[in-house]
Amino acid sequence: MSLTAVVWATTGGLFSFGLAIVVLRRQLLAMLLGLELMLAAVNVSLVHHAGMFDDAEALAVVALVIAVAAAEAVVGLSLILRMRRGGRGADAALLTELQG
Amino acid sequence: MTPAQVPWAAWLLFASPVTAILLGFFVLRRKPEWTHLPILASCAIVTASAFALAARVYTGHSFDLNLFRFAEAGTWAIDFGLRVDGPGVAVLAMVAFVGSLIHLYAAGYMKGDPAFGRFFLIFHLFFLAMIGLLTANNFVQLYLFWELVGVCSYLLVGHYHQKESARKAALKAFMTNRVGDFGLLLALLLIVLQFKITHFHLLYLKVASGAAFELLPLIGLLLVWAACAKSAQFPLYFWLPDAMEGPTPTSALMHAATMVTAGVFLLVRAWPLLAVVPGLPDLIAWIGAFTALSAAIIAGTRKDLKRILAYSTVSHLGLMMLALGLGQVGVALFHLIVHGFFKAALFLCAGNIAHALHQPTANVDDVGGLQKSMRLTYLSFLLAACSLAGLFPFGGFFSKDAVLDAAWHRGGGLAAMGMLVAAGSAFYIFRMLFLAFYGCRPEQKRAPHAHEAEPILGVPVLFLALGAAAAGLLKGPIERFVTAGFRGLPSGLPGLEVVLNLPGEPLLPHLNMTVALLGTLMAALGAFAAWRLTMSDPGFDWRWRGGPVEALFDSDFGYKKLVDGFAAAVSRSAGFVGRVLDKGGVDGLVEGTTGFVRAAGGAIARSAQGRINDYLWWMLAGTAILVVRVLR
Amino acid sequence: MSHPLTILWAAPLAGAAVCAFLGARARYAALAFSALFAGLAGALVLTLLANPALSVVNELGPVWAYGISYRLSADSLSIGLIALTAFLNLICVAASWELDVPAAYWACFLALASALTGVFLARDLFLFYVFWEATLVPMFFIIGLWGSSNRLHAAVKFFLFTFAGSVFMLLALLALVSAHHRATGVWTWDLAALDASALGAAAPLVFWGLVLGFAVKIPMIPLHTWLPDAHTEAPAAGSVMLAGVMLKMGVYGLLRIALPLFPELSFSALPILGGLAAFSTIYGALCAMAQTDLKRMIAYSSIAHLGFCLLGVLSRTSQGLVGGTLQLVNHGLTTGALFLMVGFLYERTHKRGLSDFGDLASRAPYLAFFFGFSTLASIGLPGLNGFVGEFMALSGALSVLPILAFAGVLGVTLAAAYALPAFQAVFWAPAGPGSVSAQVADLNLRERAVLWTLTGLMLWIGLAPMPWLAFFEPALRGLVR
Repeated sequence: MSLTAVVWATTGGLFSFGLAIVVLRRQLLAMLLGLELMLAAVNVSLVHHAGMFDDAEALAVVALVIAVAAAEAVVGLSLILRMRRGGRGADAALLTELQG
Repeated sequence: MTPAQVPWAAWLLFASPVTAILLGFFVLRRKPEWTHLPILASCAIVTASAFALAARVYTGHSFDLNLFRFAEAGTWAIDFGLRVDGPGVAVLAMVAFVGSLIHLYAAGYMKGDPAFGRFFLIFHLFFLAMIGLLTANNFVQLYLFWELVGVCSYLLVGHYHQKESARKAALKAFMTNRVGDFGLLLALLLIVLQFKITHFHLLYLKVASGAAFELLPLIGLLLVWAACAKSAQFPLYFWLPDAMEGPTPTSALMHAATMVTAGVFLLVRAWPLLAVVPGLPDLIAWIGAFTALSAAIIAGTRKDLKRILAYSTVSHLGLMMLALGLGQVGVALFHLIVHGFFKAALFLCAGNIAHALHQPTANVDDVGGLQKSMRLTYLSFLLAACSLAGLFPFGGFFSKDAVLDAAWHRGGGLAAMGMLVAAGSAFYIFRMLFLAFYGCRPEQKRAPHAHEAEPILGVPVLFLALGAAAAGLLKGPIERFVTAGFRGLPSGLPGLEVVLNLPGEPLLPHLNMTVALLGTLMAALGAFAAWRLTMSDPGFDWRWRGGPVEALFDSDFGYKKLVDGFAAAVSRSAGFVGRVLDKGGVDGLVEGTTGFVRAAGGAIARSAQGRINDYLWWMLAGTAILVVRVLR
Repeated sequence: MSHPLTILWAAPLAGAAVCAFLGARARYAALAFSALFAGLAGALVLTLLANPALSVVNELGPVWAYGISYRLSADSLSIGLIALTAFLNLICVAASWELDVPAAYWACFLALASALTGVFLARDLFLFYVFWEATLVPMFFIIGLWGSSNRLHAAVKFFLFTFAGSVFMLLALLALVSAHHRATGVWTWDLAALDASALGAAAPLVFWGLVLGFAVKIPMIPLHTWLPDAHTEAPAAGSVMLAGVMLKMGVYGLLRIALPLFPELSFSALPILGGLAAFSTIYGALCAMAQTDLKRMIAYSSIAHLGFCLLGVLSRTSQGLVGGTLQLVNHGLTTGALFLMVGFLYERTHKRGLSDFGDLASRAPYLAFFFGFSTLASIGLPGLNGFVGEFMALSGALSVLPILAFAGVLGVTLAAAYALPAFQAVFWAPAGPGSVSAQVADLNLRERAVLWTLTGLMLWIGLAPMPWLAFFEPALRGLVR
C-alpha cells in the first residue's frame, strides 16, 4: 500500500465524516466542527499532492484555505454566540428565517 | 301606386297619434291632467281617417305598397309598407270607433288618478299599435306592432302596480304572450327561410301557385300557437281573466278592440297559408269550439262582474276561431266586429257599476237591483247583453247565427258545441244581468249610494250599446270588405291583379231558417235557465258555493294548477341552473383552481421549511450531480 | 394628417398622459380628450360614408425584426367598433362626472379607449396581441381600484382568466407565424399575408387555440364565470366599457382572424361553437332569472346577448353576419344604459340588490322610464334595436342549422322572464322594510342627457336600421360562405 493510497483513504474518510456531521447533526457547534474537519481533510490532501507534483501554487492555496477556515470559524462562532445570547440555543432547526 | 298617392287619411292614422303622444310626453309633462286633450283630438282624427279609408276600400280603392326598406343584408331583405284592404280596414273602422269612445270614457273614469298622464299616453300607444297591426303589409311589421300591443297591455294591466295582484297579472299576461310570441317569431323566421319574403300578398301568390312548401305545416302550427296566446285560446287562455286587474277602460279596450282581436286577425291575414295545410283548419275549429264551450261554462259560475265578461271574451274568441277554422273568414271578421261593440259596452257598464260603488271592481255580492238607480247603464247593459246572447234583431244574432250556420254545415261535434255555446252565452250574460240589476237578494249588499254615472261615462256606453244592437246592419258592408281584401287589389305591386283561388268561401252565408230558429231557441233556453236560477230561486247562487264544485270551477277544471306548476318548474330550474350549476359547478371549478394552486404551493412549501440541514442536503445533491457531470 | 389611424389611437393615450399629470382638474382634460377622440372617430365614419369607394383606410409603418410591422387598417367593421368605443367612452366620462375619483381614474379610461382602438386597427398579429393585452391593464385598475367591496378578487379573477385565454391565442399565433416561416422562409405577422395552409395537420389545434382566446373574452359558456364577478364589482362606467366594448373584442377576433384564416374549419366547428352560443342564450337567461343582484343579472343577460351575436356571425350568411355585428353595437348601447342606471342607483344608495328597492316608479319616474325602455330593448322588443340584430342573427342561424335558431328563439322568450320581474321588483313593488328607495332622487339633467342619447340611438336602430346595416355590410361581405 503506497502513501498516496493511505492519504486518499484518510482524507476521504475525514471529509466524509465531516460532511456527515454537517448534514446530519443539528447542533450548530458540531456542524462548525464538521466544516473545519472537511477543510482540514482537503488541506491534507492538497499538501500531499503538492509534494507529489512539486507544485508551489497548491501550497499557496493551502495557506488560503487555512485563512478561510479561520475566518469562517470567527464568523460562525460569533453567530452562534449571538444566537445563544438571544436565548434560542444553538439548534439549526430553530433557524427558519430563510423560509420567508 | 307611389307613396305620394297614398291618401292623406292613411298618413293621419299614424301622424296624429304619434303627435298626440309626443305632445303629451314632452309638452304637457307639467300639466298631466291635460294629457287627454290632444289624445282625444287624435282619436277623432283617427276615426275620421279610418272611415275615410273604409269608404275608399268600399268603392274599390284598396292599396298595398312598400314604403321603405327596413333591413337588408346581401340578398336578404325586409320591406315595410302599408296595406289598406277590406279585412284590415273593416276591423280598423271598428277599432277606431270603439276605441275612441273608450278613450272618451277613460277621460272621465280615470280623472283624478295620480298617474293620469302616464295612463293616457300608454293607452293611446296601445291604440296606435293596433292601428299599425291592422295596416301592416307583411309579417315582420305585424310582429312589431303585435309586440307593442303586448307591452302596452302589460303596462296598463300593471297600472295599479302597488297591488301585488296587478303586478302578477301583468307579468302573467306578458309572459303568456311571450310564450305565444315564441311561435310567431319562429314562424316569421321560417317564413323568411322558406319564401324569402314576408309580404302578405306575395306570400298568398306563392302559396296559391300550388308549389309544395315543406315548412308550411310547421309555420301554420306556430302561427296558430301565437294566435292562441294573443286571442286567449286554450291552452294559453289563462292570462286574460287575470288581466282585468287593469283599470276598466283598459279591459274594455283590450277585450273589444286592441289586444285579443289581434290573434284572430293574424290568422285572417295568414289564412291563405293556413288553408292549404291539411288538418290545420280543423285544428283551429276544434280549439275554438273547445275553448268557447269551456269558457262559457266557467263564465256562468263567476262572481266578479269583470271576470264573467273576461271568460265571455274567451268564449267568443273561440267562436271566431271556430268560424275561421271552418273556412269562414268573413264570418270570423263579422263576429269580431260585432263582439267589439257589445263587449266594450258591457265592460264599460261593469266599470260604471264599480264607479258607482267607489270600488275598483264589483262582484255579485256587492250589487243588486241597480235597475232603478242606474237607468242609463241598465239600458245599455240590456242592449249589449241581448246582442251578446244572440237575440233577434240585435247585432249578435246575425254574427252568431253566421258562426252557428258554418258549424251546422259541418255538423257533428262542432255543431253541437256551437249550439251549447249559444245557450251558455245567454245563460251567463242574463245571470249577470239579473244578479246585478234586478231584485236585491238578502245575500247582496244594498248599495244605497249607487247613482247614475256622469254623462262622460254614460254617453259613450250608450253609443256602444246602440252600435251593438244595430251591428247586424254591417253584414252587407263586411261581406263586401272581405271580398275586397282577398280578390286581388286594383293597384300596387305587379301581379296582384291575379285573382286568388282561395279555398273556402269568404262570403257570408245567408240566413238559414233552421239554424236561426235553433240558435234562438238555445239562447232562450239559456236565458230561461238564468231567470230560473237567479230570479225564481234567488238564493241559488250562494247555496251551491263552497263545495268541491266551486273549487273545480275556480281552478278552471284544474288547468290553473297545471299552469302554475309549469311556471314554478321553470323558476325552480332557473334557480338550479343559476345557483347550483353555475355558481357551484362552473364557477366552483374556476374558483377551485385557486385552491389547487394553493395546495400545490403548500406541498412544495413543506419541503422548504428553512431548516439549514435541508438546504445542506439539497446542496449535497446538487454538488453530487455536478461532480458526476464533470467527471464523466 | 398623414397618419390618421395613428392619431386615432394615440389621441386618447395622450389624453391619459395629460390626465395623469393634472391632478384634481383631470376630469376636464378627460372630457376634452374624449370629445376629441369621439370627434376623430366620427370624422372617420363620415369619411367612409362620404366616399363609398374608399372602403378601407390603410397605414403602414416600419417593419422590425421577425417581420413584426406597424400595420394599421380600418374598414367599416373596425371604424364602427371604434366609433362605439369613442361614443361609450364619452358617455362614461359624462356619467361619472361627479364621482370623487383621482386623476388616474380618467387616465385609465382614456388608456383603455386607446388600447381598444389599437385592437380594432391592428392588422399585424403581433401588434394586435400587444394591444389586446394592453386593454387588460387599465381595466384591471378600474375594477381593482374603484370597484365595490369585493373588487380585488374580481379584478384578479378577471385578469388571470382572460390572460390565461390569451396565452393560448399567443401560442396559436406563434405556431401560425413560424409555420409560415418554415414554408416560405419569410417572417411575417401580417394578417393578410398569412394563411393556414402551411400548418397542415396542426391547423385544428391552432384554430381552437385562437377560438379559446376569443371565447374567454366573449365570454362563451363555460368560460364565462369571470364576467359576473367583474361586472358586479366594477364601477358603473367600467361595466359599460367592459360590456360595451371589451366583450366585443372576442367576436371581433373571430371575425377578423379566426374566420378568414380558417374558413372551412370554422364552418365545421359550427355545431360545437354555435351550439354553445345557442346554449348561452338559454343558460344566460336562466342564470339571470336566479340572480338577486341587479348588476349580476345584467351581466348574465350579456352572456345571453353575446350568444345571439355569435349565432349570427358563425352562420356565415349575410344577414347573420350583419345582424350579429349590429347586435354588438346594440348590446353596447342597451346593456351600457342598464349598467349606467344601476350605477346611478348605487351612487345614491350603495345598494344594488333587487330587494333593496321598491316603488321607484313613483319616486324616480325618469329613471323608471329609461330603465323600462332599455329593458324592453334588451329583451328584443321589435321597434327597438335588440330585435333587429336578434332577428337577423337568428335568421342566419336558421338557414344553416335550424336547431340553433330554435334554441335562440327560446332564449328570446326567456329574456322577459328575468327582465320584467326585476323591473317590477325595483320600480313597481311597494318599498319593503329596509328598502333604500327613500334615498333615491330622480335623475338629474346630466344623467338624463346621457340616457336620452343612448335611448335615442336604440329607437333609431330599431325603427330604421338600414344605415347601420349598410355601413357594416361591405366589411363582412367577404366572410359570407
